[in-house]
Amino acid sequence: MGTDAAFLAPVIPAVTFALILLTGRRVPAIAPCLSIAAIIASFAVWIYVFVAFLDDGAGTRSVEWFTVGGFEFTWGTTVDEISIVMLGIVSFVAIGIQIYSLEYLRGDPRLWWYFAVQSLFAAAMMTLVLADNLLLLYLGWELVGLGSYLLIGFWWERRSAAEAAKKAFVTTRIGDVALLIGFVLLFRETGTFDISTIITLAHGGVVDDTQLTWALLFIFGGAAGKSAQIPLHVWLPDAMEGPTPVSALIHAATMVVAGVYLVVRLFPIYRMVPEALDLIAVIGLLTALVAGVIALTMTDLKRILAYSTISHLGFMMLAVGAGAPGVAMFHLLAHAFAKASLFLGAGSISHGSGQTDIREMGGLWRKMPFTAVTFWIGALSLAGLPLLSGFFSKDEILLAVHTGRLNGGFLIVTFVAVAFSVLYTGRMLYRVFLGPLLPTNEAAHEPGSRMWAPIGIFALLAAGLGGAAFEWSHDYKGFVSWVTNSEEGFHLSTSITGASVVIVVIGLYLTWLVYVQRRVSSVGTRRRFGPLATIAERKFFFDEVYQWVINEIVLKIAALTAFIDRAWVNDIGIDGPGKTTRWGGSVLKYLQTGMVYNYALGMVIGAVVLGVVWWTI
Amino acid sequence: MLELVHFQVLSAALFSIGIFGVLARRSAVLVLISIEIMLNAVNVNLVGIAAFSDRAADVRVFGQILVVFIITIAAAEIGLALAIVLRVFRNRGSANVDDLNVMKW
Amino acid sequence: MTAQLVVFYLLAAVTVLSSLGVVLTRNVVHAAFMLLLALLAVAGIFLMAVAEFLALAQILIYGGAVTVVVLFAIMLTRSDDQPRADHSQRPLALLTAVGVFALLVIAFVASDVASLESATGVGTDTESGFEALGLGLFTDWAIPFEVASLVLLVALIGAILLARSAEDGE
Repeated sequence: MGTDAAFLAPVIPAVTFALILLTGRRVPAIAPCLSIAAIIASFAVWIYVFVAFLDDGAGTRSVEWFTVGGFEFTWGTTVDEISIVMLGIVSFVAIGIQIYSLEYLRGDPRLWWYFAVQSLFAAAMMTLVLADNLLLLYLGWELVGLGSYLLIGFWWERRSAAEAAKKAFVTTRIGDVALLIGFVLLFRETGTFDISTIITLAHGGVVDDTQLTWALLFIFGGAAGKSAQIPLHVWLPDAMEGPTPVSALIHAATMVVAGVYLVVRLFPIYRMVPEALDLIAVIGLLTALVAGVIALTMTDLKRILAYSTISHLGFMMLAVGAGAPGVAMFHLLAHAFAKASLFLGAGSISHGSGQTDIREMGGLWRKMPFTAVTFWIGALSLAGLPLLSGFFSKDEILLAVHTGRLNGGFLIVTFVAVAFSVLYTGRMLYRVFLGPLLPTNEAAHEPGSRMWAPIGIFALLAAGLGGAAFEWSHDYKGFVSWVTNSEEGFHLSTSITGASVVIVVIGLYLTWLVYVQRRVSSVGTRRRFGPLATIAERKFFFDEVYQWVINEIVLKIAALTAFIDRAWVNDIGIDGPGKTTRWGGSVLKYLQTGMVYNYALGMVIGAVVLGVVWWTI
Repeated sequence: MLELVHFQVLSAALFSIGIFGVLARRSAVLVLISIEIMLNAVNVNLVGIAAFSDRAADVRVFGQILVVFIITIAAAEIGLALAIVLRVFRNRGSANVDDLNVMKW
Repeated sequence: MTAQLVVFYLLAAVTVLSSLGVVLTRNVVHAAFMLLLALLAVAGIFLMAVAEFLALAQILIYGGAVTVVVLFAIMLTRSDDQPRADHSQRPLALLTAVGVFALLVIAFVASDVASLESATGVGTDTESGFEALGLGLFTDWAIPFEVASLVLLVALIGAILLARSAEDGE
């Protein structure tokens, strides 16, 4: 069966979801077992398909779903480098997350529902990455959004969690509208939703240029929503209201990278529209920079990680915009494991010490050494410390920006963004783990094995995956070239690499001075940046602006519409005839005088009128 | 010379007088009397037409036959109607049409 | 101005005036007698139209039976001691009656009945309809004739039933 077996990977968790729904309420204990068994089975499928892929190469398989008016919609899988990588990440990280959740959410009364949605999410995400046509991809896209909504709002008794879930869904919904428009535009031009067919047709020049441009811009709009690019990034920090393993899985490693995945998969078409790539690059870089700045001012540990995620997603998009989708995929891979281990570590910290605010944390390495080590590995990898996987992926990004299609200005701003990522990382690491042990952290302790084991594995991968970047054999010229099927081998630019290392060292040193040695006062530094710091702390006022738009425009229009519906449609349109009839009746009833002679008069007059009418016509 | 139009105008006059009586009189008996006048008006019209028609005699006589029937029915009707009036008078104590307004809104 | 026409006008005048009396007088009993007069005059009109049998029938039925019945009804319903004979609709009724009269006259005058008029009109030598009437009633119109007698029977029974008082052992 080879690569055709790939369809099993999403189907098994989907069936499990249904099973858990049926049994979970009555036999709650069975839910986690089913879910974890399913995800392990999906991973096993991945191993099988991966081996088959290495032997046989890429493959697609599709099954007819339904036919409407001459158009046939199919349910199909595409197995190629990109989808293989994504499938592996999704299934593997999901295993770790679900095992972690056993400990983290132990005793929760709705545990069975949690695992049901986890299975649903896994199935949907895998459907998304394997989809061979845009319609199926959209289905997976929407379902992961649903899973995200359900899981962010898992503790919906807390008002902020319910609000956050709603915000996430609505914000990504805005993106989804654009996405759908883009897909439909493509469909209208090419007559199909099948991705490979669309690419072939586009390369053949069948598609009109302006239509193609608009379609791709809209599609990026959808990707920007899901991948939390500016200005649709506002939902991701609030999504931290959900349980931490959810943040690790959905909002770091898998769902949020769906947007990146989409533009990478459609890159053969994006390449034809330079304006679209420019937009992607600009938005990506802007996101990377702004999110990095905000992360430096946040005080909640998970919020820092959230903004860090947004920033790194921006770097991925930047890579795509620079014309190097393979680099984006590499960073996606490195970031997935590193961020997952970071979030799980944050969960361990909050689980063990009860704190989430970094101002209440200090010297935690004394109480939680394992967590400290793994956390440092993940964080420093993303900051770009040499030899960790993040160093290589970030280096590739810088190289792509330098040598790719973008002009020199981009490189400078990218270095600034990189600098900020180092700064907030250093601040976070020093504040939380080094320094004297704060009295609030006396009770901190390491978690059980089900929690530290996944962290450890992810941290190892975060450390070691950098090796994948190199050329190991004639056939494998490095991850980036393998993923994009190109002949270009792995190479370094000493100037770029050197510059990035210098930035890392300086950044870590500066934050060391401020947060560990206290030689430079953080308060004083903040005061020096005055208004800029306020803007950053207030997250650049995005939420305030959006809220204003909602209040003044959206809600006012809604009020107007409600008024029209109530006053015109209902009171006049619907109640109107009824009320008029009743009024007519109440007036006409006076005709019924009860007097026979009145009726007789009516008869005579009626006869006269009839006679006249009949006679004159 | 006597012409059909004379009969017809007379008929019209009697008819409208009868209508006035039906619509204006208070006592039920008076109303019924007025109806009799109206019926007679119709009879006058019919005999006039029967007399002045230029058809054959056996066709012409249809007008008179109709009058026979009308007189018959009128007699039956007034007998029955007055019986009803009697009944109403016994039940309600009054035979005036403006006291009979139970069907008022 | 033939004698025929004069007689007709006379009879017509009597009819109309007595009918007016019926509808205008305040005394109910007077109204009943005025009705009798009107109906007898109508019998005369029938004679003018060479409908002798009808004239006879008119006198017998109306002059005899109907008037008596009406008088009995007046007596039994005490219609004669009412303060007012007319009610509030009087003006409207007048208006309507005038309207109806106008309409009918216009209709009669304007309509083309010339084709109905016989060349000779009604004269002393017009054959009477007696024979034709008898023939017609018992041949062509026999069934309606029988039905009419049934109607009379039913009306008779109905009137008896309705007019029975409570003590008559309902």
